Amino acid sequence: MRSTRNVVETDDGPGLGHYSDPPLLVLGSLANGPKHGHAMIEDIVRLCGTRLGPGTLYGAIARLEQQGWIAPLPPEDRRRPYRITAEGLRVLRARLTIMHHFAKAGLGRLEHL
Amino acid sequence: MLTRLYPPAWRDRYGEEFKTMLEMSPGDLGTVADSVWSALREHVIPTRGGKMAQETNSFGAMMRRPSAYLPVAMSLAALTMVLGAVAVGLARGGHVARDPDEGSIAHLFQLLMTVQWPITLFFVVKWLKSAPRQTMGVLGLQAAAWLVGCAPVYFLHL
Repeated sequence: MRSTRNVVETDDGPGLGHYSDPPLLVLGSLANGPKHGHAMIEDIVRLCGTRLGPGTLYGAIARLEQQGWIAPLPPEDRRRPYRITAEGLRVLRARLTIMHHFAKAGLGRLEHL
Repeated sequence: MLTRLYPPAWRDRYGEEFKTMLEMSPGDLGTVADSVWSALREHVIPTRGGKMAQETNSFGAMMRRPSAYLPVAMSLAALTMVLGAVAVGLARGGHVARDPDEGSIAHLFQLLMTVQWPITLFFVVKWLKSAPRQTMGVLGLQAAAWLVGCAPVYFLHL
């Protein structure tokens, strides 16, 4: 049970839901600079309309840090920003490239309908 | 309060920033359910890495887990109870009073010494794979405490 709520109105239709891969969303959010948890949540909402719950977000942060794909920065007040590492960038690029190829191929097939 | 649902090692590492995060969240039922589920997941599949690895894998951190210290505490409680009964017997009659099996002290002793087995089993199942050396250390301590707890009963023929 991940708390991911779609806050942007889309015409996906019933049953399709919204994109939810918290670690990938966190990596994507950190791709344009370090952010703390709350900033990541708001950025991910802007990116794809998915609002991650705090538990889901920190579950993803902990596992990404464990894998060495993100790293903590010194805390600011009581909030701690995170940055994406070089390995994290490599993983994100590889995942997005696969998704890009899939999306391109899928949309290409739809055009032929 | 939601932060307290997480394991101590996780709280040490992420507790403060997570609490700040919760304060900025709407605090609705979805947030609560999400945090409870994530905390449960963290207990079943704990995150390790960075500072948390040292915390989780140290013997001291292991001993702070209820399933590690409870069996030891139960053995020590049983030992204290038996030694107390022996001391009272000596003070009253000048000899060690033998408590029959159906006596309340005997029942409590048997309860304390057997209820800890499933707790120990849970501890072994949960930690042996991820931290074998520390688990064996804790297990050794639990076994020693159990033997020490049984020693007066064996040697004094109670």
